[in-house]
Amino acid sequence: MTKTLSLSVLLLLALAAGACATVWPEQRAVLADPTMRFEGEPGENAAEEHVLENREASFGGGSVRGGGCGCN
Amino acid sequence: MQLSGRLQRARALGLAGAALLGLAAGSARAQVVEVDARGTVFVEPSKTSKLTVVTPAATVAAQPAEWLDVHVAYEADIVSGATEAIKAGPIADVVTGATKFSDVRNEFRGGAQITRRDTHLAVDYSYGTESDYHSQGLAVTAGTDFLQKNTQLEIQYARGFDQVCTTNFAPSTAPSGRTRLDSSKGCFTKDPLRASRAVDLDTFQVGWSQAWTPVFATQIVLTGGLQHGFLGNPYRGVVIAPTGEDALENHPENRARGALSLRGKYFIKPISAAATASFRVYRDTWDIVGETYELEFEKYVTQAIRLLVHARYYHQNGALFWSDDYTGGEPSHGPRGQYWTGDRELSPLSSYLLGFRLLAGMQGTPDHRIFSALLRFQGSVAFDALKTNLRDFTWSGKTPDDTLAGMLTLGVRGEF
Repeated sequence: MTKTLSLSVLLLLALAAGACATVWPEQRAVLADPTMRFEGEPGENAAEEHVLENREASFGGGSVRGGGCGCN
Repeated sequence: MQLSGRLQRARALGLAGAALLGLAAGSARAQVVEVDARGTVFVEPSKTSKLTVVTPAATVAAQPAEWLDVHVAYEADIVSGATEAIKAGPIADVVTGATKFSDVRNEFRGGAQITRRDTHLAVDYSYGTESDYHSQGLAVTAGTDFLQKNTQLEIQYARGFDQVCTTNFAPSTAPSGRTRLDSSKGCFTKDPLRASRAVDLDTFQVGWSQAWTPVFATQIVLTGGLQHGFLGNPYRGVVIAPTGEDALENHPENRARGALSLRGKYFIKPISAAATASFRVYRDTWDIVGETYELEFEKYVTQAIRLLVHARYYHQNGALFWSDDYTGGEPSHGPRGQYWTGDRELSPLSSYLLGFRLLAGMQGTPDHRIFSALLRFQGSVAFDALKTNLRDFTWSGKTPDDTLAGMLTLGVRGEF
């Protein structure tokens, strides 16, 4: 258990370190495209989540804002 | 009396919303006001227990100042169909029939978001009402962007204050002596045969989005939830004795839930398409473990038209106290004599979802508006088919036939 936890923390730290590799504002055109937004079309996603939450025991982990910010 | 109170609250919310939007529109004539309207029809065909849900929804959002966004929304669920009120398993010699029902849920929402440089803070409130259930929810969200906006963190806390109508059983009444509701008549009134019971919901969520390259981004979302109160279905009875006696569904009063999602998005430049892969794992204190796998592909058909197709697979085991039949004597393990359920969502199951969405957009300018009014217009049509495989669940030994559902959504959005 402790080994798994340590490996997970190391993996997260490695990912976080990698995050320092910058995508510059002038390179963000694609990331700003609507198809690259994690939240997608919130209205439609909410309707689908509403249906699924009434048919499954699971919940949560839905998309949050992010990924498609082209602002600079 | 109760109805009058609800109407007054709904009217007050409507007036507050209209005032908020009036303020927004009045001070933001040069800013964007966005109107989103959509309608969803959900149909689950069955010979005996067909379900139809029609959901009209509308949202109006405005930006009165550069740092402030406000929105109000309305949504209704118009539900009609039939369902088996008493769950029996294959052992008891009980045949149950479906009972027709219909209901309307109205939900009003409103919220505001303040944005300062790289940080945002949002507050949302919702109020929902139907004949047998009232809900109020408050959510606070805070987020920030850093590392050249390549890293985004968002944290949210939501609190639900819900009330569900049940029969007026005393807390001291043994669960096996509690009766189910036969209708919502008298709910949320002074009817001595009805009681209102609280359901408290706390949800925490934290999300981390990261852009790794100009065409690749990932997201991790961790969600935790606590539920406390009456967590069963007040209409559902479960046969708990071989002679056919039933009692109100009896679920534990507490449930802690957790989910972790991982997503990756990659834009394939040569074909102008984005591919998304998602995985979610879920676990709760009722010992349910669920896993979700999802693939999504969205492509520009033309500059103005996008087509999205997605596929989803989900599977879960049953709750610790799940059984298809509670009359077969003492179970070899598990608290199945203490709790009982007729909820098929707590049984072992898997499901497949396949869907598409076609979205068309038009972009205008302040000098050349679409339909002489709009800066931007977007129309969409989406369809999803959902097939559920129930591994254990039966109605008196018969496999349910309402396991294939379809959902059609039509939406329009305009920016003024």
